Amino acid sequence: MDRNAFIRRLLDAAAERGVAGEICCERGESFEVSVKNGEIHQYSVADSAGLGFRVLKDGHTGTASTQILDKDALAQLMDGAIENADLVESKDEQFMYPGDESYPDLNLYNPEIGAMDAAVKIDMAKRLERLALDQDPRITQVEDCAVFSSTGERMLTNTLGLHVSMKSALLGGYVCVVARDGEKVNTGMKVFFTMKPDEVDLEAVAKAAAKEALDGLDGAPVPSGKYRVLLKNDVAGALLATFSGVFSADNAQRGLSRLKGREGEIVAAGCVTLTDDPHRLDSAASAPFDGEGVATRVKAVVENGRLNTLLHNLKTARKQGVETTANAARASYAAGVGVAPTNFFFAPSDTGFDAMVERVGDGLLITELQGMHAGANAVTGDFSLAAKGFKIEGGRVASPVNQITVAGNFYELLKDVETVGSDLEFRAPGTSCFGSPCLLISGLSVAGKAE
Amino acid sequence: MILKSVAEQALNAALKTGGDFAEIYCEDRRSGAMGLVDGHVEAASTVRRHGAGIRVFRGLNSVYVHTNDTSASGLVAAARKAADAVSGDARVGDIRLVRSLPRNVHPIKEMPMDVAGTRKAKLLRDCDLAAKAVSGEITQVRANLTHWDSDVLIANSEGLFTGDTRVYTRLYVAAVASRDGDSQSGREAPGAMMGYELFTDRVDAAHTARIAAERAVTMLHAEPCPAGVMPVVIDSGFGGVIFHEACGHSLEAAAVAFGNSEFAGKLGQRIASPIVTAVDDGTLPGEWGSLNIDDEGLPTTRLVLIEDGILKNYMIDRLNARRMNMPPTGSGRRQDYTFAPTSRMRNTYIAAGRDDEAEIIASCPDGLYAKSMGGGSVNPVTGEFNFAVDEGYLIRGGKVDRPVRGASLIGRGGEILMKIDRVGKDLRLAQGMCGASSGSVPVNVGQPMIRVTDITVGGR
Repeated sequence: MDRNAFIRRLLDAAAERGVAGEICCERGESFEVSVKNGEIHQYSVADSAGLGFRVLKDGHTGTASTQILDKDALAQLMDGAIENADLVESKDEQFMYPGDESYPDLNLYNPEIGAMDAAVKIDMAKRLERLALDQDPRITQVEDCAVFSSTGERMLTNTLGLHVSMKSALLGGYVCVVARDGEKVNTGMKVFFTMKPDEVDLEAVAKAAAKEALDGLDGAPVPSGKYRVLLKNDVAGALLATFSGVFSADNAQRGLSRLKGREGEIVAAGCVTLTDDPHRLDSAASAPFDGEGVATRVKAVVENGRLNTLLHNLKTARKQGVETTANAARASYAAGVGVAPTNFFFAPSDTGFDAMVERVGDGLLITELQGMHAGANAVTGDFSLAAKGFKIEGGRVASPVNQITVAGNFYELLKDVETVGSDLEFRAPGTSCFGSPCLLISGLSVAGKAE
Repeated sequence: MILKSVAEQALNAALKTGGDFAEIYCEDRRSGAMGLVDGHVEAASTVRRHGAGIRVFRGLNSVYVHTNDTSASGLVAAARKAADAVSGDARVGDIRLVRSLPRNVHPIKEMPMDVAGTRKAKLLRDCDLAAKAVSGEITQVRANLTHWDSDVLIANSEGLFTGDTRVYTRLYVAAVASRDGDSQSGREAPGAMMGYELFTDRVDAAHTARIAAERAVTMLHAEPCPAGVMPVVIDSGFGGVIFHEACGHSLEAAAVAFGNSEFAGKLGQRIASPIVTAVDDGTLPGEWGSLNIDDEGLPTTRLVLIEDGILKNYMIDRLNARRMNMPPTGSGRRQDYTFAPTSRMRNTYIAAGRDDEAEIIASCPDGLYAKSMGGGSVNPVTGEFNFAVDEGYLIRGGKVDRPVRGASLIGRGGEILMKIDRVGKDLRLAQGMCGASSGSVPVNVGQPMIRVTDITVGGR
């Protein structure tokens, strides 16, 4: 069935059944090529489309979705969503939104990306692999090297009159290299994302991956103990990503965040400002409207250490008697509505990386944390993670370190930030995108070799 | 789902430009999820996924195209897109498919999609009550039920035209215990390749909830784990995640074929302590990581990976079989039609040994008893792994002493395998979702209780 006709019939059917109905439609195309030894290793092209349906009945929502618009789908969506809404017992009232008068114009779609020839992207991937291998004779292998692009559109419409849509496009890639020196082996990786294909600097990407692998070749554990720690920008961003749920009002209202009821209080060091910016370019997490169709806006969640607000959607905001922050999140058309940041980052200062290392004096530079999905407890904030990095001695980066774990607590870490660096970098964007400059933490526990 | 004639047409189109192997994987999947928080069902959803992936090989190169459009014209268009990325001599195609049905070793009694929502809601409420009954310190219970049934059809240019229906059911319970502003959580998540009969035939939902709640309470009263290098006893069941992460991934052809594994080129060599035998078995009836046929249409197998410490086999998919010049092992898996398959684990475990569990603890020098493991990850190139201990205790004077929290284990797979000095008798399996290049797939990990002479334990 034609998509537009399907949508009209579904919304009409909702009205007939006496429920509010909302449809989230997505369509997209994606491309990925990976190369190995100068040849195409894997090549993948996809088109995708899906439709999610949400009904609001007696203050409860139920959802159903489909990737096929056949004659059964209409009834399956309507009956499924209503049955699901009837099963919900939560006392929290849900809402749908009629739409705002205007939405920010973000220009997230660059048609050049959709029009890029496959041959151009294949060539980019081949060049990236070559550049990585040419960085140093000790780079013996490129484990993985790929370039990908995607274009997509999302449309949100409901029986209350909401009708919004957006298009986006993104080009990206990554390279993973292996460095070997005798028996020693280490890996390095670098990812890039952009909306502007002509601004990609493949040489810099290759260099960063090679540097990470080479610099860490001679890694050895340090003695267990408490260390002053400089978290490299992407590591600090990864930690923020892991614990970003503590800023969700949804989690707070369920008792899953210790920031519950702490709005207006100091929760972090004075140098810490955490911003949520849904309008940033080069990010798939940017959008003019959130998952409920509310116009998005930039806000400081933590400002100079003070918690201004938690992140809200319509439900959590109403429950707390505040305005939504337009952080309703739908990971895809099929997902229910939750709460998530958009582009969420530690605001940078003007202290450069070298000055940050100098301020550490003696301690550790952490360049990699592993096992975030397992060694971190999002409820308690506790983490204990395998790490790699370098010693910092007399204010300078010294010998590499590996086979250690770094342990701490995210809530305490926010207070223990001594200085924020200037080198803000964002991680790979998904539903949310996280960023940070390097952060100097006054003390973290490290497990390494016995004294 | 799709007609044989349509599959033949699409496969012929896929090989038009010189490909030497083509495959169609068509999938229609219905899934349901229900979540309960604090005694109330909070969300329920149903999802239907539908689409097909077409794969073409030319030598060692592979192309993958997927689409939601499984009409005859949609599939042929996708096949042409795949063919466009291959260049070689045109092949005059005349593929003739022969239909076959796999032997079904996972009969389903009750399709979970057809079970009334009210029954599912009651199961979740029972979990909530059981968890809260454990202790007044339980402040939050979350219970989720997920299930999906997936019809797959797999056809390839070698004449294969087969299909299967996979049915999965899983319960997840997480309990939070709190006291004086401190809180700890405990989780338990049993699942199986079974229908809703999972909850009458194998899993007691309330018992699952009690385990999660007891773990949360235990950890609430635990002290931070001391850091250092020490002997570690790892309990049965999810303790097998150590083998999965530290060794299993390095035995997948996806790592071995390119030399990105510390175990590449070591078949027939000693890679583990002589008391270690390890198996990857896709044939176990009703198990979470089992399949009748893999996602490339091959029957799954029971594969001995390590026998008495000697490396015996790798897990190999079709494409890497070409690279390694070895036969595939029925290990090709993918999350769904949007992923090209690669070699993956199924039910992977350290086999039962000869040591008495009580003796393993009693003879242990002071160290850590990891009763329940969390997840972890591994770098297959260097073998470096890390994983979290969800429920740990100190071992003092040959006895299990006070509980400790926040522990993690790090090391290198190859070194740990050699340092296993006890393997218990009682093998248990536990369920997990394993993520890799072909997506997230259900796997079992498992082992009896084992002891490792020394591991770096991270703590505070």
